[in-house]
Amino acid sequence: MTPPTPPTPPIPPAAPALTPAAEAEKRASFEREALVHLDSLYRVALRLTGNPAEADDLVQETMLKAYRAWDQFEKGTNAKGWLLTILRHAFINEYRRRARRPETVDLDAIEAFSVFHELQEEDPQGAFFDRIVDEEVLRAIDELPEQFRETVVLSDVEGLSYEEIARVLDVPIGTVKSRLFRARHLLQQKLYRYAVGMGYIKGSPR
Amino acid sequence: MNCRECTEHLYEYLDRELTPEVEREIRQHLRDCPPCGEHFDFEKLFLDFLRARCRAQGAPPELKRRILHELFGE
Repeated sequence: MTPPTPPTPPIPPAAPALTPAAEAEKRASFEREALVHLDSLYRVALRLTGNPAEADDLVQETMLKAYRAWDQFEKGTNAKGWLLTILRHAFINEYRRRARRPETVDLDAIEAFSVFHELQEEDPQGAFFDRIVDEEVLRAIDELPEQFRETVVLSDVEGLSYEEIARVLDVPIGTVKSRLFRARHLLQQKLYRYAVGMGYIKGSPR
Repeated sequence: MNCRECTEHLYEYLDRELTPEVEREIRQHLRDCPPCGEHFDFEKLFLDFLRARCRAQGAPPELKRRILHELFGE
């Protein structure tokens, strides 16, 4: 008679304690491959939460989760993308509800056009961009609908490729392309309206 | 390639996400069509501007200390 299958333990057995040498190696590789991306994680967290204190907490939580899961990370592959995926999941699960109300924006209804056609007579070289302060650029990004915002941040702030962005956001590459196209144009429009409002350019009514 | 097709690939071109063949076709169109050339120049300038303005910010030093303390008890 076969003995009954033992019930699955509710908690997975703790990982065996590492020898001091293995612990030191784990720490060294984590510092070398993960902690170097702290600035990136912070910038993304700040744009997602819109709040420095919550960005701090989100990054700290991400790093703790990453260190616990460090054995599962395939060393030498793209740690930045892996960390950003952890960060985004943590944000969705624990921060989004508190940080910002769920969005009900119909992204398809957003008409986004390049402002180049408005400017080609007055400022085709885009000289007015130089007069816009950093804070205003960040504010314009923060005002984008969340799906546009996270795509722009991963691309233009963090320099990820379309494929890396698709992996972090878990969407097809075609979605990344279409979001980037509209998000960047929407951002341009915001900055353009701001510059017209400030009198940096005359602008033309559309 | 016409202007509309060219513009559809605008950001993929500037982000260097196209195959070499399509990239060549676009480069050719931009040489032949000054309005599209100017438009692409403008968009490139916009992306450079965006990147320059957003990448400066880093994590506060205190956050790094906090994380090291949590991780390694330092």
